[in-house]
Amino acid sequence: METILNGQITVSLVVGIMAKIMMVLLFLMSLVMLRQTALMDKVIKIPVGGSIKTLVWSFSALLLLLTVIVVLA
Amino acid sequence: MPEIFGANKVADVHEVVELEKSGKFKSLFGSFVVTPPKTRFESQDNDEKIVILGRKHFVVNLKWMALACFAFFVPMFWGEFPMVKALDTNTSFILSVIWYSALLFYVIQNFVLWFYNVYIVTNERLVDVDFFGLMYKNINVTQIEKLQDVNYSQRGIFSSFFNYGDVVVQTSSEQRSDDRSERSAFTFNAVANPDLVVKIISELMEEVSKQNSR
Repeated sequence: METILNGQITVSLVVGIMAKIMMVLLFLMSLVMLRQTALMDKVIKIPVGGSIKTLVWSFSALLLLLTVIVVLA
Repeated sequence: MPEIFGANKVADVHEVVELEKSGKFKSLFGSFVVTPPKTRFESQDNDEKIVILGRKHFVVNLKWMALACFAFFVPMFWGEFPMVKALDTNTSFILSVIWYSALLFYVIQNFVLWFYNVYIVTNERLVDVDFFGLMYKNINVTQIEKLQDVNYSQRGIFSSFFNYGDVVVQTSSEQRSDDRSERSAFTFNAVANPDLVVKIISELMEEVSKQNSR
């Protein structure tokens, strides 16, 4: 534990900040995956493609929720 | 559209009729689907029928699945490491959340890439759809009449046991894949039932050459 400008920097604090950044990056990646899945579905229209898109949408929504919780924690 | 590309050409292909009768190869999650219902692709003509929709054999997914299974248990043991032990409970929990989110992302991404990396054989054309990662796609299309040779190879115990292999289709044009790693632009890697794929494509080629010679 180090004290800089009357503030204490702990390992948990540093890891916590990195974790928040990672969570945001992961959410952005999920948005890329969402877009790509939509494009893939446009190239090949398969009846079960709708379920795949729903799965990816659900994952992105879950990740958005988790990101908000982790960033605000 | 020339007469030879009639919509009933699928009915002429003996092997396809046999497979349709058998009722096998109908699952859209399968690696080899014969005349898939309600399936279309981007540049499909109105009278064009999909004969085969195929993708890599499901067995090729075992590698990333095994890795994901291993990764699932990692957070249960990382408390033993002094670096992680030093973290407070809150941060440790957040790390676990990130780990499992990343793992889920990895699983979904691999599944989606497997699912949409397909090859399509229609009564008119051959379409090879390749997605590399999430950012790049490569779609090759050729007419059946431009096909010259079709062959397949099976290497290794796994491919013989699970009946999958690489189907290479040579065309009259010198099309190659972008990264030049494949022998032809129409190389279908690790596809299920390569013998059936080759047989059906050969029959389609024969049908087209017969129509042309009339």
